[in-house]
Amino acid sequence: MRSHAGASLSRRRFLALSAGGVAGTAALSGCALSTAGAAPGGGESITMMVKLDDISPELIQQAQKELGISITVVQDDITRLIAMLTNGKPPDLVRGLGALDAPYFAARGVAEDLDPYFAKSTILKTDDLDPANDVWRFDGTTQGKGPRYGMAKDFSQDAMFWYNTALFDKAGVDYPSETEPITYEEWLENAKRLVQRKNGQTTVYGGSYNGVNLTVLLTNLTAAAGGSLFSGDFTRVDFTTPEARKALTWYVDYAKTKVGPSLIQPNPDTWDGPTYVANRMAMSGSGYWLGGMINEDPKVAKVSRLAPAPVFEGGRRLSSCQAGTGMWMPKKAQNKDAAWRVFEWFFGEGPAKARAEGGWGIPTLKSLRPLMPQKEDYQKRVFKVQEAELEHFSVTPFTPYVKTEAVDALINQILPAAMNGQISVDTLAGRLNSSINEQMKRGKEQVG
Amino acid sequence: MTVDQVPSVAEKPRPAARPDAASSAGPPRSSMTTRRHRAFYMFTSPWIIGFLLLTVGPMAYALWLSFTTFDGISPNWRYVGLGNYQELLSDSVTWDALGRAGLFAITSVPLSIIAGMGLAVLVNRPLKARGLWRTLLYLPAVVPPVGAGLIFKQLFNRDSGATNGVLNIFGIDAIAWLDDPYARYVILMTVLWAAGNIMIISLAGLQDVPRELHEAARIDGASAWRTFRSITVPLLSPVLLFQAVTGMIASVQTIMPMLLAANSTPAGVTSIPQSNYMYMMHVFAQYFALGRYGYASALLWVLFVLILIATGLIFRFTSGVVFYNVDPEAKK
Repeated sequence: MRSHAGASLSRRRFLALSAGGVAGTAALSGCALSTAGAAPGGGESITMMVKLDDISPELIQQAQKELGISITVVQDDITRLIAMLTNGKPPDLVRGLGALDAPYFAARGVAEDLDPYFAKSTILKTDDLDPANDVWRFDGTTQGKGPRYGMAKDFSQDAMFWYNTALFDKAGVDYPSETEPITYEEWLENAKRLVQRKNGQTTVYGGSYNGVNLTVLLTNLTAAAGGSLFSGDFTRVDFTTPEARKALTWYVDYAKTKVGPSLIQPNPDTWDGPTYVANRMAMSGSGYWLGGMINEDPKVAKVSRLAPAPVFEGGRRLSSCQAGTGMWMPKKAQNKDAAWRVFEWFFGEGPAKARAEGGWGIPTLKSLRPLMPQKEDYQKRVFKVQEAELEHFSVTPFTPYVKTEAVDALINQILPAAMNGQISVDTLAGRLNSSINEQMKRGKEQVG
Repeated sequence: MTVDQVPSVAEKPRPAARPDAASSAGPPRSSMTTRRHRAFYMFTSPWIIGFLLLTVGPMAYALWLSFTTFDGISPNWRYVGLGNYQELLSDSVTWDALGRAGLFAITSVPLSIIAGMGLAVLVNRPLKARGLWRTLLYLPAVVPPVGAGLIFKQLFNRDSGATNGVLNIFGIDAIAWLDDPYARYVILMTVLWAAGNIMIISLAGLQDVPRELHEAARIDGASAWRTFRSITVPLLSPVLLFQAVTGMIASVQTIMPMLLAANSTPAGVTSIPQSNYMYMMHVFAQYFALGRYGYASALLWVLFVLILIATGLIFRFTSGVVFYNVDPEAKK
């Protein structure tokens, strides 16, 4: 029915028109989320979902110049990623933490198997890939094996720790060895002696040991104690095993003594970096990558040492990568070939070399390792410690059935009661098992 | 002649329409009506389209999600009917969070209204530099909630906050303000800090109170308190009702101050002190940390229904005490 001049616009008709408007607008908004393959000025374009400091505007211009590919950056945001995956037009490359994200996305079939791309690449040769990149492999059950779904841009062995010799001297504490690992128990004893307090305020943290996040920390501490947090098929966690209990007890003790930041004593700086370089933290459980920040201030760099990952008494020596931050390519990416060229450039050419020279992590191509900072004596010293630690690298597999954020959220809810002494470690272990296993059961159902 | 005796515009006698008015003095009446309708719809359509697109659409989508196990990514989600709603009924964490949100509303809304109205009464008096005072008191309300949250987080930090710095001057040991049991008071303070919004609305209401009523009360010997209680408050009651309803709706949905006081990552929201883990934080955690889109959507729908019920109850219980200063005849 056509409207005619002078006819009254009925409510019904108005609603129909509104619905049409809504549909039209929805279609337009759908277009807004789409990822075009052709750049406005000709050439190819891709969309990268990254943190804004992962790729600077200068690098984007460089990519345009060197590759002829225009890059549109979308801020890294899981909710936006889900929306884009749901509407079938995901970004072409997505930032992720290989150690935690790779099994999750691979198991859900949304990540592209990159093995065929690596096989053809002359820039990213598989024999040049550092074993740290194995955190991006997943064979359907176990992480560290099977096809590659992404690559790390750099990595660290995150259980290592930095320490400030000036603060050790002030407290009269012996320096930890740079060649032989100290035990976690010794680490905590040192932290207790190093912490400085005044008027109920902590002026200098004895040490910080929180891992990339609590889930991965507890997974790795359990592995260091000689066990595994997950069942063989990764469908359940068990915090009641002797090894997991040992890990849990140590971390609860760390928080109870309030020698460093924790859930019940958050760091005002929100992370270790600024606190450490301000000489207000004697030890920081961060890997080599923190050297990027430390090296920016030679005064701090000269009093800083890097030490091997601690061990538990009777446990094994291992030093895994807890993040392996890099990128993956969604299976439904619109511009895979262009995305792969950017991938090769970002991980193997100019940007990768610049990152290696910056000291913000160990390069993920073995051939780039000589570029790591070694000009100053303190840099040479740290490099030597790091080289020796690489021998103890291993992948600590993570479950594909839950996102690490989910486990972290559940741990955050339950753990403070134990840290405040309201519940025992055994009760804590039971509650964690029940809560996390319920979430894992749901995840298993979703994956199938 | 009292206000009630003034004839309303609607009642004013109109001259009888001439039979030939339609043909000789402008377009026909039906055409005028059509034009008016069209103008109405044209002016309201941006809002209605926005409402349909940004409110009705997402609500319908959330309702559909609430019957599923959808997590945003996984392929094997399924319909669970009312399963999420059944789970919600037996989820003690949800009820605890709802209880805290309710308690927060019961505490923060009256306190905010009292603070806002008190400030309005103060700046309604003949003061020196009254405009400046009004501006200064309103200023916190225009600070974006994100900025306000971050300021409070810094102010009350145990190790680096100014509040403990001041306490230290007096020899008092530092207090962990952002932890239990103090964290709830910090959140309450962030809400009260922005009472300028309520002050402005109350001030507008106060200026609408006829001055002659106050003068008459004064002549009759009524005290300031009696005048305030018997004249000002009843005349402000529609404004107070409006503030109570919108305040209640906003406070049970409060999330920003808690989010900012926490480590505002999806997983970090659950690390906030338990007293601040309110309903919307729980919803946020279910959506973005646990990826339980279906369950979180059910939580939101339940909250929507509860807010509707609470609003209805407020209207019902205040119908006899709210004084509407309008001519009842004008409604006819």
